[in-house]
Amino acid sequence: MDPLLKMTSGRNPVEGVGGGRELKRQMLMLYAACSQRLSSSLMATKPQRLHQIASGASILGSGKKPRAMTTSTATSDSPMREEFAKYTDYLNQLNDKRERVVKASRDVTMNSKKVIFQVHRMSKGNREDVLAKAENDLAAVTDQYMSKLVKELDGTDFWKLRRAYTFAVQEYVEAATLCRFCKAGTLLNLAEINASLLSLSDESLEPLQINVLDYLLGLADLTGELMRLAIGRISDGEVEYAEKICRFVRDIYRELTLLVPLMDDNFEMKKKMDTMLQSLVKIENACFSVHVRGSEYIPLLGSSDPNYSFLGLPDLES
Amino acid sequence: MATPPPPSCVSASLEKQFEDFRVQLDETASVRERIRAVVMEMAATVRLMNARLLLVHHSLPNPDVLEKARAQAGVLKGLFGRLAEILRECPGQYYRFHGDWRCETQTAVSLIEFLHWLDTGSLLMHPEAEKILGLDPSEFGLDIEDYLIGLCFMSNELPRYAVNQVTAGDYDCPRKVLKFLTDLHASFRMLNLRNDFLRKKFDGMKYDLRRVEEVYYDVKIRGLGSGDSDTRRGRQVTMNQ
Repeated sequence: MDPLLKMTSGRNPVEGVGGGRELKRQMLMLYAACSQRLSSSLMATKPQRLHQIASGASILGSGKKPRAMTTSTATSDSPMREEFAKYTDYLNQLNDKRERVVKASRDVTMNSKKVIFQVHRMSKGNREDVLAKAENDLAAVTDQYMSKLVKELDGTDFWKLRRAYTFAVQEYVEAATLCRFCKAGTLLNLAEINASLLSLSDESLEPLQINVLDYLLGLADLTGELMRLAIGRISDGEVEYAEKICRFVRDIYRELTLLVPLMDDNFEMKKKMDTMLQSLVKIENACFSVHVRGSEYIPLLGSSDPNYSFLGLPDLES
Repeated sequence: MATPPPPSCVSASLEKQFEDFRVQLDETASVRERIRAVVMEMAATVRLMNARLLLVHHSLPNPDVLEKARAQAGVLKGLFGRLAEILRECPGQYYRFHGDWRCETQTAVSLIEFLHWLDTGSLLMHPEAEKILGLDPSEFGLDIEDYLIGLCFMSNELPRYAVNQVTAGDYDCPRKVLKFLTDLHASFRMLNLRNDFLRKKFDGMKYDLRRVEEVYYDVKIRGLGSGDSDTRRGRQVTMNQ
């Protein structure tokens, strides 16, 4: 066949009537698709993405092959393929983005947890040092990991990928509010957190703003940590501090009871509220025990390993 | 020692923030309520449209049936317009409420796709489907995954249609359905899907395809179809897949 003719038939699907010519057209298209895939896979630096694209190409290949035989009757279906190529691009991009958000989220979660553990290392003598280090770590989480997440989500609909990042954001809220409470005894507001996130990216790109729901879910987790902190403080003899925590948790619990029914999908929140009440009761019981048996309790202070059993709380870790 | 602490001095800003949240969440809840009201109407419309469209199984193609079903598509358009209007009040939150109309939208897509196929024998592409539902992609678009799921729903309807058309005497119908479904299935195979609902629906599509192949085979082997050679080739291909 004349090569020129072959080219024109390749370009103009309407003309394709002869079976052999049509087959060649298909081969050309297949070749073009493969080389396109190849070039995009060369650009990808991460090995797993390379793998994904390679497997995608093989699916494409097997999908194309039989088509080379069917389309002798139908030239009208090529618009369908063209459209589906667009959907493929859309889905690929969305999935890649989601993967990247999940990855960034995992880093945020892991490192926020570390900050929380750092706060728990606090004891009577070293509070300033421990808190300074915790704040330092928190700043590092914000600068290194939160900023990655924020940049990933720049200018997108935050609600679409919320499921991918919600737990990370909750953990981050927990760490940030815990640090603030230990430092100043106040609640870190959502507006303050969001203001700090704005500076992590270009403001014109509408950086991620934490939504109310994630913030409240984070607060619910915070009370669990505060419970641990309060028990630790009591065993360390800082009863005042524990009572301050107790009042704070009470405030949060009371405010949240009003908000829970209004929240979008409040199943998770309801569960957290139950846990929160348990935590609160634990703190209150601990404060009560110290209050009632205060005089017997003081001598225990000297003992190097804290004994929780007098609080009537066999398992504090649960 | 027994003096109660003052009703905590932390409260001022704390209370203020939670008060703001309450207002904010209240607004969201009322938006959601309005959305749900529209979606309820949408569900009713979709059911009605479906019931009207189901008449195609009762007889050979009847323009009257299609016309009646098409009237409902106009109603749907109006309802989507109302949704878009509500959503205009809270920009950037399309996906916050997306779950509320997802299901109805998918069914609506499957119905208009089926209708369009009955009319023209071709697939309604995403932008065209948006147009029919009166959606503006810049503010309230049709989510591509919803569109694709709608296509899968539509494919579920086709085997039944082929069977009933043959019973009603149209022996050429299975060939048309088979060709369309083969193309659709092949196009779907271009997508890299995640392990989600769409994937599950797509996996079900091959059973529709197989069923239509069987119907086509039954008609063909008895020499009932029009029997041009192209269709046989098309059939072999689908078996290879």
